[in-house]
Amino acid sequence: MPRAVEGKYDIEVVRREWIGKATDARRGRYPVEHDPIRRYCHMVEDRNPLFLDPEFAAGTEYGAVIAPLGMVGYFAGNGAWPPLEERNLLAEVPTRGVRLINMNTDWEYLKPVRVGDRLTTQTVLTDIFEKPIRLDPKAVWIVTENRITNQDGELVAVGRNTLLTHRTPEAVAADAAGMEGARA
Amino acid sequence: MTTATGQRYWEDVADGEELAGYELRLTWTKMVQQVSGSQDFYPVHHDPGFAREAGHSDIFYNTSFTQAALSRLLTDWVGPAGWVRRLGFQMRKMNMPDDRLQVKGVVTGKAEGDGPLGEVSIDLWIENDRVGITTPAEATVLLPRRG
Repeated sequence: MPRAVEGKYDIEVVRREWIGKATDARRGRYPVEHDPIRRYCHMVEDRNPLFLDPEFAAGTEYGAVIAPLGMVGYFAGNGAWPPLEERNLLAEVPTRGVRLINMNTDWEYLKPVRVGDRLTTQTVLTDIFEKPIRLDPKAVWIVTENRITNQDGELVAVGRNTLLTHRTPEAVAADAAGMEGARA
Repeated sequence: MTTATGQRYWEDVADGEELAGYELRLTWTKMVQQVSGSQDFYPVHHDPGFAREAGHSDIFYNTSFTQAALSRLLTDWVGPAGWVRRLGFQMRKMNMPDDRLQVKGVVTGKAEGDGPLGEVSIDLWIENDRVGITTPAEATVLLPRRG
C-alpha cells in the first residue's frame, strides 16, 4: 500500500529523493517447491508437464521440474503469511493516494529455475512521475526493477514494473473543490 | 502438434503464423483459484465492495493471473526445448467476473539469434467478450533448429 502524504505534494521533490533507491538483496523464504507451482498452473489451467510432472521433466534438458516464468518473483519473496518485517520501497514512496493499479510489466528470463533452487531479489526504484487517469487527474506512477538471482549468484530474471497510485473519488472531488489537504 | 510436449522448430515457423489460442471463463471459482495461485490478497481482486468503493465497477483479475495466462500461451507453443526470453504486457483494460477470455498470439518476425536457438517475435494478447482486447503483449521466444 503506498504512503499518501498530507498537505502539499511536489513530484519533483519526490523524484529527487527516491529515484535510484534500492532494497537490500533478500532471499525468498522457501526453496522453489512443487505445490505452489501446481496451484499457480491451476489458475490458468496450464497442464505443461515441465511444471507439473517430475518424471517428464527429468527426461528433458532441465533434468527437473522448472518453475513457470511468472513464479520467479513469487519464490524470491516471503509470501503473505506469516508477515515479516522487511523493507517495501513501494510502501515508503510518498504518493497522493492509497489506491493502486498495476499497469505495465516486462520480464526478461535468462536462466531456468528448478525445484529446490533458492532465489534472491533486489528492487530498485527507477522512475516516478505524474500522469492523469480517468479516476484521478493527478495519479502518481512508480516504476521499479526487480533483479532475481539464484543460489549460485546467477541472474535468472529481470522484471520492470509500472504501478499507478490514485486517490479515492472523494479525495479527487475534494481537491477539485479546492479543499487543502485532500489526500488518500 | 500437441501443446507443451511436442517440439516446434525455428525453421518451421512462418511470419504471420497464429499461435493456438485458448479460452478461460472467469467464474467465481476461477476468482478463488486466482487468489490461491497468486497468493495476492489485495481486496480489489476478490472483494466487490472494496473494488466498487475504489471506483471500479467490480473486482478485476490481478497481474500474476494475467502474466500466467500469457505465459501459458507461449510455453505451450515453444515446447520443452524452447525458451521464453522476454514477455512484456500492458494492463490497459480489466478482466472481470463472468468475462470469457481468449488468449491469442501471432508471429511478427524471426531472427537467427546469437546462439544455437533461433529467435521469434510474437504479439499476443488477452481479449474478453465484454470490452475486447484488455492486455496487449509482446514476447521474444527462442526455438531449437532442426538437425
